[in-house]
Amino acid sequence: MAAFLKKIALLTGVALVLAVSSLEAAEPVAVIVNRANQVEKLSESEVKKIYTNNTLAWPDGAPIIIYDLSTIDPSRALFSERILGKSPDLVAEEWAHLKITNQAKNPPQTMKSPSMIIRRVMKEKGAIGYVSLSLIQNNPSVKVVNTLQ
Amino acid sequence: MVFRSDSLAMKLVKGTACSILLAGALSALPASAEEPIEELKREVEGLKQENQEIKRRMEAFEAEDEETKHGLSILTRLVEVSGYADAEYSFTDRDGEDSGFRLRHLSLFFTKEIQKEWKLFTEVEFEDAPRIESERSTDEVKSSQGTIFIEQMYIEYHPRLDWDLRLGRFLTPAGIWSIYHYPPYVTTQTSPIIYKVIFPEVSDGIQLRNSFTLKDSALDTQVYLANGSGNSGNGDRNESKGAGARINADLLAGLSTGLSWYREEDNGGVLRNSYGAHLLYARSAFRIQAEYQARTNAPDSSPDFVDSGWYAQAEYDMGKWTLAARYDWYDPSSEADNDLWVRYTGAINYHFAHNVTGKIEFNRNEFDDSSEDAYSQGIMAIAVAIGDL
Repeated sequence: MAAFLKKIALLTGVALVLAVSSLEAAEPVAVIVNRANQVEKLSESEVKKIYTNNTLAWPDGAPIIIYDLSTIDPSRALFSERILGKSPDLVAEEWAHLKITNQAKNPPQTMKSPSMIIRRVMKEKGAIGYVSLSLIQNNPSVKVVNTLQ
Repeated sequence: MVFRSDSLAMKLVKGTACSILLAGALSALPASAEEPIEELKREVEGLKQENQEIKRRMEAFEAEDEETKHGLSILTRLVEVSGYADAEYSFTDRDGEDSGFRLRHLSLFFTKEIQKEWKLFTEVEFEDAPRIESERSTDEVKSSQGTIFIEQMYIEYHPRLDWDLRLGRFLTPAGIWSIYHYPPYVTTQTSPIIYKVIFPEVSDGIQLRNSFTLKDSALDTQVYLANGSGNSGNGDRNESKGAGARINADLLAGLSTGLSWYREEDNGGVLRNSYGAHLLYARSAFRIQAEYQARTNAPDSSPDFVDSGWYAQAEYDMGKWTLAARYDWYDPSSEADNDLWVRYTGAINYHFAHNVTGKIEFNRNEFDDSSEDAYSQGIMAIAVAIGDL
């Protein structure tokens, strides 16, 4: 019995180490807006309000255009867990339910690649998105308003 | 001797030459080994940079391609079609009911963005695989089964993200389940007992939706005017109209709560006032949902009575699995004794994908009325969502 418990403890330890190391391995994610946006910083709760449609417009009244990465993207996993406190699949299900019932006020548009999000945020003044930090370093066309480590 | 000395000399020369060559080789070896390594390193670095550049270009191409496709899809999309379908096998010990397969729903949603601010939204529901046959010579229906139902059809005007106006048939905005009940996204196949009972399922009329924030809370409101239950299409049978409202406050930390109200005079002249309160708490893997609804009924020829009910449902997500349990309670009349109906439901869901869900459900129904036998029901179902959601 003791040996069995030891094995369980060992396996749990290994699983925890793997889980922690996988979290540590995730690249930092930058929340980005258009350079012309007057907003300089957004707290995690403000980003959450935007991504849950509790905030629909920027302070100047311009409508917010929300971009999401696909559910399999590692940056989305980090963003979803940190900002929304749920897995990407669960969030996708909730949006699907809102969209199918036509109750979604301002659903995020899902883009397959981070490049697409960067391009959209560069082009659209009201856009917000998130990508891996390394992809937008030294990019003057977008503004980083929050960084998730 | 000469030969020997020659041989020695030769050996010396040979040995010296070998030593020089060896020393030269030894001294030359590290230099010649380091250089290729450095060179290789430089080449690898160059290749890495090239690779990065190619990757960046590929992503740019991909983005352009996606953008083009996106633009084309908007241009060419005539009507966006989505929906859901579910099929099940149910077994029960209820008298008069048999176990069997059921093609429960096929619901199709057609959405058309007519103009930037105008949209047409339609839900056509085919329940129990409808089949209608007519006699060729007359218009009489020879046989029929299932239901075809325009569950929703409205024209929406949405000039801003925070408000819109809907004219047509819509799901009566009341509580949670009346709006959010589609099989791929709810854990049980059976609905709470109070659903469609205290508030009407759909309303034909006009609805104004508005969202705003109050301090840290987001509030969603709906007010509507409708024909009243049982008065669909152009079949309004009385002058009085139904009116209702719903408010939902999205509080912080995953808690939202709200109230619903609806008032109508039905075709039999019974004045009905429905009230509801709902609560939803979702935190991490837990989700709790509860609704209470009551309705006062004032018929002309009999005493007033109240019918009321509530349910509480808890869900727990474990990766692809979801466990759910619900308790239902319904009292059809405050004037009658021994008429309570309670239901205990347990369900396990497996999410094959975010739009494909397998469900196993078991429920037990019990009645206060001794003439009504308690019964149990088991359901195994697959529900899928279709379309680009």
